[in-house]
Amino acid sequence: MAEAKKPPPRINPTNRPFFEGCNEQRLMLQQCEAADCRRHVYFPRVCCPYCGSGDLEWRQASGSGTIVTYTIVHRPNHPSFFPEAPYYFIAVRLAEGPLMYSRLVEKPQSDLDLLGRQVSVTFVPHSDDQMLPYFRLT
Amino acid sequence: MQNDGSFDGVFVVGAGQTPYEKRTSKTVQRLIWEASDLALRSAGLEFRDVDGLGVTCFTLAPENVTTMAEHLGLQCRWLCHGMFGGASGISGMLHAARAIQAGDASVVVIVAADAFDVSSHMSMNRSAGQHDYMGLWGYGAANGVFALQTRLYMQQFGATREDFGRLCIAQRQNAMLNPNALLRTPLTMEDYLNARPIADPLRLYDCVLPCCGADAVVLTNETIASRLDAPKVALLGGGEIHNFPPNEPYALSAGWEKFQDRIWRQSRSAPEQMDFVQLYDDYPVMEFIQLEGMGFAERGRAAELIRNNDCTVRGTLPINTGGGQLSAGQCGASGGMIGVYEAVVQLRGEAGERQVPDARIGAVTGYGAVSYGRGLSASACVLGRA
Repeated sequence: MAEAKKPPPRINPTNRPFFEGCNEQRLMLQQCEAADCRRHVYFPRVCCPYCGSGDLEWRQASGSGTIVTYTIVHRPNHPSFFPEAPYYFIAVRLAEGPLMYSRLVEKPQSDLDLLGRQVSVTFVPHSDDQMLPYFRLT
Repeated sequence: MQNDGSFDGVFVVGAGQTPYEKRTSKTVQRLIWEASDLALRSAGLEFRDVDGLGVTCFTLAPENVTTMAEHLGLQCRWLCHGMFGGASGISGMLHAARAIQAGDASVVVIVAADAFDVSSHMSMNRSAGQHDYMGLWGYGAANGVFALQTRLYMQQFGATREDFGRLCIAQRQNAMLNPNALLRTPLTMEDYLNARPIADPLRLYDCVLPCCGADAVVLTNETIASRLDAPKVALLGGGEIHNFPPNEPYALSAGWEKFQDRIWRQSRSAPEQMDFVQLYDDYPVMEFIQLEGMGFAERGRAAELIRNNDCTVRGTLPINTGGGQLSAGQCGASGGMIGVYEAVVQLRGEAGERQVPDARIGAVTGYGAVSYGRGLSASACVLGRA
């Protein structure tokens, strides 16, 4: 049986800088340019979801964050992930503020409590032409 | 009358449910027709009486509520295509009720249906929040989304796997009295705790069984309701909220607490007066959160409520009296209607072996539209024997 391919990102003008940044191993976030807001934004939007301003700029993020919650996925959503399971799927609060979903490169250990652990970004091939940000424990 | 947004003058006069099946050769249009037909018959009404239709169905595209009206041959003055997932059943009823109060429609069918199995559920075409910002990392679909919520809830409030298990087991006991439930064998705590891991801390019996089927209700005004022989159920109160709170998937609520006071005011009732509760049980943690949001338990204390009550149909706090989605099955979007159907059948006294003795009033909650890490839509209503 041919190996299933991972689902590709649906790239559009709103999210293109994020996915292009991944391929340059740069974690790109939007930041609101409104003087009284300046919030960082993820996932990519057409406007700032905090103040409604349409003035968002792409900036490179530090790549560090904290695990808010996590799971060990045994039954993935797509056959392409089956060979990798089980794995940690995590919600990371980035140092800049936004919440980002990703994976931990470390293999699951049943007795490990990851809540509140610090992580930093690393880039992993998703397909032949797309890298994605994963995280590792620091 | 004080402006509490009451739904006076609106009655639910019919309810229908198709057989729930693991597989079907029927199209979703046929399932929608079947549930609607059953609901209209139970009301003593016919398709020619209908002038309003609300449909929720994940697998209906490229068809929609308008082409569904065409398919069924209905001339409608009011249509609603439910886009709120498991919150749509109640939302659809509330929107229909306002149209009925305003005279924009007189007989409305609210129906939800889907023909799903595990693999079609996994391969659904999803919004960006899920597909592009969770799915690319192998998030495990809804199971992964709610594993994250469950772990955080357990950590924050000290709830245990056993606490969730108690509710799942009570619902299974209810399902064993429901001929239309798909899972009707006893579930023990040992079975629950040791089931196959899906997305830690969730195991098999925390997750719904995707299936095929449909549920429908019929709403009408007081004039028409008064000439029907069917038992009447009043819409005593209701509310909904979406994207609560903005930009934060981990509030551990979808916002029921923002409108529960108004619902209890509208219905002149209180949580402790409910003869049953039908919760949106995609995962037990969301049932806990709904119990808290609706005021049945203080925040973080639902585990105690479940521990101190018997949640079976003869118990002190009957919950999901037909077994809910966890034991009857989740027909996709119809997961948002199963509780409404069950509530109406209970209030009509037509629930057979699973009838809650002398059920007069009950609460129903809805939850859905899963996107970035959470469901975006919350709804609830109180229904009472008229």
